[in-house]
Amino acid sequence: MILTIAKRDLLERWRDGRLIWAGGVVLLLLLTALGVGYGHRQEARAEQRAAQTSDYADWLKQPRRHPHDAAHQGMHAFKPDAVLSILDPGINPYIGSTIWLQAHRQSEVMFRPAQDATGLQRFGDLSVGWILQVLGPLLVIVLGFNAFAGEREQGILRQTLSLGVPAPSLLWGKALAIGFGLCALMLPAAVLSAGAVLVGAEAGTVADAGWRFALLAAGYFLYLAAFVFVTLGVSAASSTSRVAITVLLAVWIVNVVIAPRVMSEFSRRWYPTPTRLEFNSALSADLKRTSDQTWQTNFGTTERWGRDVPLSKWGLALRLDDHASYAVYDRNFGRLWDTWQRQQALQEWSGALLPLLSMRAFSMGAAGTDFAHHRDFTTAAERHRRLIQDAVSDDLVKHADTLGGQHFAYQSGPELWQSVPAFAYHAPSPQWALAQSWRSLLCLSIALGISLTFSWLSVARQRAL
Amino acid sequence: MLEAIGLTKLYGQHTALDRLDLKVNPGEIFCLLGANGAGKTTTINLFLNFIAPSAGTARINGVDVARDPLGTKQDVAYIPEQVSLYGTLSGVENLRYFSALALNRHLPRPRLLELLEQVGLDTHAIDKPVSAYSKGMRQKVWIAVALAKEVKALLLDEPTSGLDPHAANEFSGLLTRASQSGVAVLTTTHDLFHAKHTGTRIGIMKRGRLVESLDSAQISDVDLQKLYLAHMGA
Repeated sequence: MILTIAKRDLLERWRDGRLIWAGGVVLLLLLTALGVGYGHRQEARAEQRAAQTSDYADWLKQPRRHPHDAAHQGMHAFKPDAVLSILDPGINPYIGSTIWLQAHRQSEVMFRPAQDATGLQRFGDLSVGWILQVLGPLLVIVLGFNAFAGEREQGILRQTLSLGVPAPSLLWGKALAIGFGLCALMLPAAVLSAGAVLVGAEAGTVADAGWRFALLAAGYFLYLAAFVFVTLGVSAASSTSRVAITVLLAVWIVNVVIAPRVMSEFSRRWYPTPTRLEFNSALSADLKRTSDQTWQTNFGTTERWGRDVPLSKWGLALRLDDHASYAVYDRNFGRLWDTWQRQQALQEWSGALLPLLSMRAFSMGAAGTDFAHHRDFTTAAERHRRLIQDAVSDDLVKHADTLGGQHFAYQSGPELWQSVPAFAYHAPSPQWALAQSWRSLLCLSIALGISLTFSWLSVARQRAL
Repeated sequence: MLEAIGLTKLYGQHTALDRLDLKVNPGEIFCLLGANGAGKTTTINLFLNFIAPSAGTARINGVDVARDPLGTKQDVAYIPEQVSLYGTLSGVENLRYFSALALNRHLPRPRLLELLEQVGLDTHAIDKPVSAYSKGMRQKVWIAVALAKEVKALLLDEPTSGLDPHAANEFSGLLTRASQSGVAVLTTTHDLFHAKHTGTRIGIMKRGRLVESLDSAQISDVDLQKLYLAHMGA
């Protein structure tokens, strides 16, 4: 009986043109976004690879010189675009993709508290993810707003119920019809997306890409299923189709237009982040305080690079100073990043009622384009900066400090440059991504549970008259 | 068999149906006459369990419809005044769908065509979208659904309203054939002529009460009209 209802509903939507026109537009947009995303990612990846190779070649080609000069040249870490950024670029467009691994300082180029935090909460560009998150629910509404209300208006519902059809069968049948419709529309896009992801994945990461794609698909299934049941519930509870579409459009506007902005603002007020100026001031003060302690403890003075410290200890001083700064950077950046993640978590929790917020976070997480992945990359880049820093400082201690007053006459060569490996970043596993996104997944499941309960109650209480 | 025992429906202070006692036996056609708001449609809705009674019971084949709403619907077919079908589907597709819902299985096309032929639907129309059907044609499709169910009782809510005389006559013939095969028919109508010539028994309702119940064979057209007008005017 459920399949009979589903097939009839689907046939009607096909014949009345809703599936073809509304679905066709969405499908066309999906395919366009997929093509654009694939092209952009291929281009960006090629540029990143070339830049990373060229940058490391520049490091290796350095002439013989004082190691500290080499540390100031540093390297650049280029963030590789995750293969699923084809489908959801997440926060990538707003945060840049290059970090300068320079001496003494954890690069600030990517950390702009006032600007980046806003970027984290913005909508993405036209992408498969954006279309599914924003236009997907609209398509569900178009397909299902009159599923019950329209039939009640026409009198068909009364006749159908007079046949002894259980109301829950109608709910499942109509839900399946919308589901079949969506599947029929999404299938070509899903197959092409899977193909693009698998073709675009680097060797050895195909399985990971496949798992991440499956996670993404599961997330969107929960998200769109929640909207299917909300739509059917509202349709069953509404006296007319006009009331149903008005209520559903209001729900859509709240979910995709109002909620992201309101929750973004709310989360920033609940967990305030410093401005860039405040952050830099606090970081500088913390660095100075820590540095003063280090110099006082080791050299009996807070005057850095003064007469009290002989040149034979400048390599050592450099190493001690940098090592002390590591904890300061970890503390300050860690605090800032934790705050951003708390803001993000607050938004994700609200996704139990406003599922776009959870879906957006989950989609970015599964695609590897969310802040958690960005943080992982940044941490890896900082580890590499410290590796360069330590190699250079160790070389100074070992070879330059022993020269006493001739410290600055020391020059290193290719053997030191080659001892520093090229920066290579491996994205975290899908399991890691899932562990980071559990909150979003839970909230999406809760949203589905709530919408299912709502639709069930609406259908059970609906009147045939 | 259709049976109402003390069936009452209250909407706040308003009594839509007042202690209705009624029995329609297999093979009988009981026509309920009455002005708008007399309680005719309320009676049908109570038998279909679309609304809950305030008191009393409605039974189909001895089973209380409130206790087994889905089960009792298997034994009854309901034909409303305005039959609504899916406009994008053809007559045979509508019949196939609704009969599948009623029987929980799909009838083969030959059987569907046979049913449509039985109700007299033009064979040229069966594969055309129902949106182009007249009211009478839609009604025929729905009667075919009722025939497919092979029910023991029929509930009709002003079925001939808006039908042309020829279609109304055809419809009366269908009802008569159904009753002759042992179906209990309860129909509401404003049409005294239809009630007299189709019904085996006639009831007149007024302000929620069944004020007359008589055998149609024992009253003439003129007397029925006088009786009806007397009740309506009183």
